[in-house]
Amino acid sequence: MIESAAALEVRDLRARYGDKNVLKGIDLTVEPGEIFGLLGGNGAGKTTFVRTICGRLRPVAGTIDIAGQSKRQDLSRSIGLVPQEIALYPHLTVYENLEVFGRISGLTRAQTKAAIEEVGHVSNLHERGNDLVETLSGGWKRRANIAAAILHHPALLILDEPMVGVDLDARNSLESFIKRLSTRGMGILLVTHDLQQAESLCDRVGFLHDGVIAPQGAPRALLDAAFGAQSEIILEFGQRLSPVQEKVLHKLGFSSAGGAPNWSRVGEGSIVEVSAVLQHAGLSPREIRLRRPGLDSLLLQLSHPVGWTAGEDAA
Amino acid sequence: MIFAMLRVMTLSLLRDRGALVLAFVLPAAIFLILASIFAATASDKLQLKVAFGAASSTPSTEAFERALRSDPALHVSPSLANRDDVAARVERGQADVGVFIGGRLEDVDAPPVTVLVEPSKTMAGAILAGRIQALVQTELPDLALLRTASTFESVVGALTPEQFARLSATVEALARQGDGDTTNDRSSGNLIKTISVGSSVGSNASITYYAGAVAIMFLLFSALQSAATLIEERNSGILDRIAVGPAGTDAVVLGKFLFVTIQGLLQVGVIFAVAALVYHLDLTQQIGLWLLTSIAASLGAAGLALAVASASTTRHQAQTISTFVVLICSAIGGSMVPRFMMPQWLQDLGHYTPNTWVIEAYYGTLWRGEGLSDILPEIFCLLAMAAVGTLVALMLARRRLQF
Repeated sequence: MIESAAALEVRDLRARYGDKNVLKGIDLTVEPGEIFGLLGGNGAGKTTFVRTICGRLRPVAGTIDIAGQSKRQDLSRSIGLVPQEIALYPHLTVYENLEVFGRISGLTRAQTKAAIEEVGHVSNLHERGNDLVETLSGGWKRRANIAAAILHHPALLILDEPMVGVDLDARNSLESFIKRLSTRGMGILLVTHDLQQAESLCDRVGFLHDGVIAPQGAPRALLDAAFGAQSEIILEFGQRLSPVQEKVLHKLGFSSAGGAPNWSRVGEGSIVEVSAVLQHAGLSPREIRLRRPGLDSLLLQLSHPVGWTAGEDAA
Repeated sequence: MIFAMLRVMTLSLLRDRGALVLAFVLPAAIFLILASIFAATASDKLQLKVAFGAASSTPSTEAFERALRSDPALHVSPSLANRDDVAARVERGQADVGVFIGGRLEDVDAPPVTVLVEPSKTMAGAILAGRIQALVQTELPDLALLRTASTFESVVGALTPEQFARLSATVEALARQGDGDTTNDRSSGNLIKTISVGSSVGSNASITYYAGAVAIMFLLFSALQSAATLIEERNSGILDRIAVGPAGTDAVVLGKFLFVTIQGLLQVGVIFAVAALVYHLDLTQQIGLWLLTSIAASLGAAGLALAVASASTTRHQAQTISTFVVLICSAIGGSMVPRFMMPQWLQDLGHYTPNTWVIEAYYGTLWRGEGLSDILPEIFCLLAMAAVGTLVALMLARRRLQF
């Protein structure tokens, strides 16, 4: 049963991991039927945030309400967690797994049977329901992984990197499945590194950075606010550049992340102008592309100052 | 390329402490334990607990008793006057073996010395009989000579008065010396007879012992194997998923505890069923206490296994710890070699192993016919192990998911 209250409401949430303040006052609301993408780099605190919501880590301060409930026991009945790994018993069939997780989530035998019927219909798992999980393809495993978390109709579904290792077809199919779940009123918190996926799938996204989720909003609105009508120019070099060449690119306002051969800059200017400047500087990229800035551009801007390269982090 | 692979294997071994322990520490430890046991059986370090009794007190029985007590390999009880008392001590396990002097030691018509053994400890009877033979030769040469002369007389006829006088003088001289000619191999003749004590058929005592010994060893192995699935579930995210729900990790740990216990009970049942079918081991007389012991053993093994699995980070680590714990406990707890053959320090150490508790409880129940009150200490130890192990597992399972 989905409540009319917010699926997740977090206010001024603070948590520590060891002696480090990881969450420094998080405010977040996920409405029923909304897909919220939680983004952030490695070590930003996404896992700590999820663990705190799930009640596995005691917060230092702040409140967590799920579907209007704040008691630990009520919270646990309102959450469905889909871990990044395939958290299913490989030697059991899909249906047997669903039965186990239905019973463990507190459903009676009859309720579990009905829930499996319903979830099987929503997820199209009926056709593979009697197959052993270990024999399924990656996409079907992911689908079953999600199905096992929604049997008890949680108000909030937490998906931790739900599409790792699946091909394009399976990915599209899973995205449709997740959207179908949201239309049934389930609030979905999608934790992902895949910014393209977040952009296409999420109603809103938030960047967890330095212990807070900011900014947050609809992907298009965030990008418009951050970049306006500016374009992003991407330079693809076939090889690593020399320090001198990198310095030149920094001066031209380019940054690099995710591998030194790719450089990007958000701002004014056409490909022709940039190409001329590069040629003058003795740089000849293999490819120059122009696109609207994406969430990856925003994350790069938030995480690193202009002129940063991946190599500097390592240093 | 071959050497590259050699290097990979060497580095992998050196960086895997568990594999190093299994490869080099465990074999050495097992060797030390077994060497201590078998070295003890061949030396004075073996401390057989002997229940001693004599029907009457004569100079020769007193000398015999003194000789027994002087043997460092024997721990002789205070003298008992009744053979049944000696037998009872052996039956109850208070002594490894018994010895009773029922007649005159000089008599050769019937063996005056009776060695009383439990069928599961026939080795103890053989060891004691050998020690007595040696003691008679070395410590009581006068007795040995008298018995030889009596045997000689019974074959060739009575000695002449002159021969008898010279024999008596020699016997007295030997008695005064208190030390005989150890190189002279005089036979002790018809001195010792060995009888079994106990309430059941001889072969069943050994079967009872080894059914219990094997049951607990494999109970521990399979319990640890099953409990290690906890680690797989933790690594695959299943525990994460379950921990979020209303049941929490407690449901997983307790569910596994129940499964491992039932699996253990069935396993023990199979072992004893085979013993009953093939060796006619009678469980029916003490079926209640057998079941109680089996349940306690299964519970204890489940608790220990879950504690080990919860404390381990990887399945490999759990397997290493399991192998180490089970083999060491089995070696010193009596699953491999009966504990009476061990030096005293190993016997004392064995008291702290589940193997000893289970073997003693089964043996006490099925062979000695003991009641509930007799096996309560062992049952209590097993249940305590189950409780402590399960509590540790519950706490660790919760704690591990916080990090």
